[in-house]
Amino acid sequence: MPEESHSFIIDHDLCQGKLACMRVCPTQAIRVKAGKAEVLSELCIDCGSCLRACPSGAISATTRPLKEVWDFKYKVAVPSPVLFGQFPPGVSPGHIIEGLKSLGFDSVWPLVVEAALINRAIREYVGKWKGRFPLISSACPVIVRLVQVSYPGMVEQLIPILPPRELAGRQVKSRYSEKMGISKDEVAAIYVTSCQAKTISIFDPAEGVKSNLDGAISFSDVYNGILAATYENKENGQKLLSKELLHGKEMLQWSLSRGQRDNLHSYRYLSLSGLSNIIRVFDDIEKGKLRNIDFLECYACWAGCINGNLTIDNFYVTGNKLHRLIAELPERDPWLEAEVEKRYPNEDFFIKAPLTSRPIKGDRGSLKERINRRQQAETVLAALPGLNCGLCGTPNCRTLALDIASGEAQKTDCIFFSKDRLDKLTTIYLKNK
Amino acid sequence: MAEELLRKAFKIYGRNFDRAGETSTEIKEILKGLNIDSGIIRRTVVVAFEAEMNVVMYAKSATLNFVITDEEIDLEIADKGPGIADIEQAMEEGYSTATDEMREMGFGFGMGLPNIKKNADQLKVESSVGEGTTLSVRIRLNPNA
Repeated sequence: MPEESHSFIIDHDLCQGKLACMRVCPTQAIRVKAGKAEVLSELCIDCGSCLRACPSGAISATTRPLKEVWDFKYKVAVPSPVLFGQFPPGVSPGHIIEGLKSLGFDSVWPLVVEAALINRAIREYVGKWKGRFPLISSACPVIVRLVQVSYPGMVEQLIPILPPRELAGRQVKSRYSEKMGISKDEVAAIYVTSCQAKTISIFDPAEGVKSNLDGAISFSDVYNGILAATYENKENGQKLLSKELLHGKEMLQWSLSRGQRDNLHSYRYLSLSGLSNIIRVFDDIEKGKLRNIDFLECYACWAGCINGNLTIDNFYVTGNKLHRLIAELPERDPWLEAEVEKRYPNEDFFIKAPLTSRPIKGDRGSLKERINRRQQAETVLAALPGLNCGLCGTPNCRTLALDIASGEAQKTDCIFFSKDRLDKLTTIYLKNK
Repeated sequence: MAEELLRKAFKIYGRNFDRAGETSTEIKEILKGLNIDSGIIRRTVVVAFEAEMNVVMYAKSATLNFVITDEEIDLEIADKGPGIADIEQAMEEGYSTATDEMREMGFGFGMGLPNIKKNADQLKVESSVGEGTTLSVRIRLNPNA
């Protein structure tokens, strides 16, 4: 398994140091010192804002190459619910499932039952919680990491329940290893993902234990193949109507902002999406506000997973398609109801280790030393131009001042204080000069 | 004697609902930047926010003095306002003199002072009617000390 420290990689050959990534990073985790972007790992929350913003195509998601998947004896695709809203109207859920098989997967395991099981587990958890409110959904890996890095006092408010994809990974491995008479390690559970953050949640789960999934591939790895298979095999797929395959609304609702509303209708529930909006609300929670809210559904991407970085179609269209599919489906058909009743009492839905805050190693020394450094930073900041131009290679004057105080940067990184810096930038950026 | 490491003063204005919470946000940012234990940050910020809201709701203005020593965080909020006639009563959960208008805005449920008390290691309330109230709050950095 590849060792990934983050859900994306920056290709330094392609990076042109245009600062776009550094400017959008919500945790100020990017520096561009010598014309190339570098990530400060401990601050990165894997939101993928940089990936979206890069004008040079230098940042890509670290999904698993398809060819690695085929090394496993038995391969199961676990598609994100968003995938069912990505295709033109003629392509039904049945086509999508058959299309994934035609690519080489032995089975396809949509999150139908898992979404229903996790809904129930969350509902029960919220009902029994005696601690501080609001509880925060942990389905979006970016939100979990945001809390760990920027809101350490709120980690206990994260709901420690597995997301449906992890539950599916466990189920797939035990079911197919038994069925095929092979070991669990020989069964690959591969998530077909709408965003890069799910890959980091597989390679490096926030709670620090091993994921039940073996990797993630992106929509673009399967999109053309599914379309081609659909057109070759139109009649066969047509028989597979959405109603019979999806059994209920809950799975598709999981990918949409406000998707937990039905599940938690008896609780005081707020649905949040978009990282900057969520940061504002979390700031309020830190002040002690919103205590009368039971549950916060949080998606780092505006409108939910349908707006993930690795989606193909635009999220308004995807959302519309999913809503239409949801409208055709029953709440739960009898088969799904029976599956939930059968599995719920026998499975454990909690994550395997507690979520804790992520220590930031930058702030060393005694309290006195830390305060001195901060005060030094304040003094430096007062002397800086305050234009937040980013040419020093940090996102704004404040970050530069803090980096100077901790010895990571010099005042001469600011072009207002150093002609050399300007000359250096000229050679980097004005290539034809 | 504890060594004073940092001191900052903030001005808070009464009836300034739109900007209420700015001081506690600034205090939070300072403490986060110093890598203070998150539980202590939370308690300090709740105290600062509730105190700020009390000023915004009832007083003309106030000064919030924020001090960090090597042992504790001290907050002193001295307001020019109506004062509290019966401090003991004001400390009771749910007791409030807020107007209907304030309650409609979601404030004034009588949890301010009780909440401050709950989150402080030490709380001193001094008040004189018609002049103002001074809250002195102490939060220890090492809870076991």
